[in-house]
Amino acid sequence: MAEVQPADLTSEEKARFQAEALPLLDSLYGGALRMTRNPADAEDLVQETMLRAYRSFDRFEAGTNLKAWLFRIMTNAYINTYRKKQREPRKVSSDEIEDFDLYQELKSHDPQWEMTPENMVLNSLVDTDIIEAIDDLPEQFRLAVVLSDIEGFSYAEMAEIMDVPLGTVMSRLHRGRKALQKRLWEIARDRGIVRGERKE
Amino acid sequence: MKQKCLEVLEQVYLFLDGEGLTEVQRIEIEAHLDDCGPCFEQFGFYEASLQITTRLRGQTHCPDGLKSKIARLLEQA
Repeated sequence: MAEVQPADLTSEEKARFQAEALPLLDSLYGGALRMTRNPADAEDLVQETMLRAYRSFDRFEAGTNLKAWLFRIMTNAYINTYRKKQREPRKVSSDEIEDFDLYQELKSHDPQWEMTPENMVLNSLVDTDIIEAIDDLPEQFRLAVVLSDIEGFSYAEMAEIMDVPLGTVMSRLHRGRKALQKRLWEIARDRGIVRGERKE
Repeated sequence: MKQKCLEVLEQVYLFLDGEGLTEVQRIEIEAHLDDCGPCFEQFGFYEASLQITTRLRGQTHCPDGLKSKIARLLEQA
């Protein structure tokens, strides 16, 4: 539990933080839940993030992106605290991901297959399947996919949040999306939605 | 597969994310997709598979109990 320390903010800053940061709680909680994959840890992480941010709000540059700033604080808090007690995500080797292309995979099992909304097999998966697949991704890939595709951050904002160069952001996102497609395909195959042999 | 097809498919995600491409590059990609059926189909697939995750945007809500707890903690801080 984060300890409450008196924040050294002017009353104007306090009011501004409450007015601008509190409406972002839904986003922060959503991000925290995909990072920790556990509602109790997500609640702790969001609370700690908000208190840390409040205490250092005088260092926030007005006019810059508050949501990105909060996510940066949350990502650091997650990496330093919560990650240590996390279960290890399912191992996906890099080679396995590099070789996988869902489109080619579907084509190879059925050359007549065409991408139309009706047979866009992945549309048969429900949101809980998608979440399960995201939660199974290795951490760095999961973070990139969540920040980009679910939270809508730009590559530049993600570079700030994850504290890595732009090229690393792009590579993690690209590989993360590939890994996600692979996992979704496996889930669809296990449900009997797509055909395909089990390759281990 | 032609060299142009490979180039376009390399840039699919940059195109879909609206990142890192000049206006001229975007127009070139669009023109190629208009002309090339296989690329058009594959592009549509990537676009649709991206929407599978983007449709989760804004779906999760912070529990009310946590919202009020944080508001209270900030009042005290």
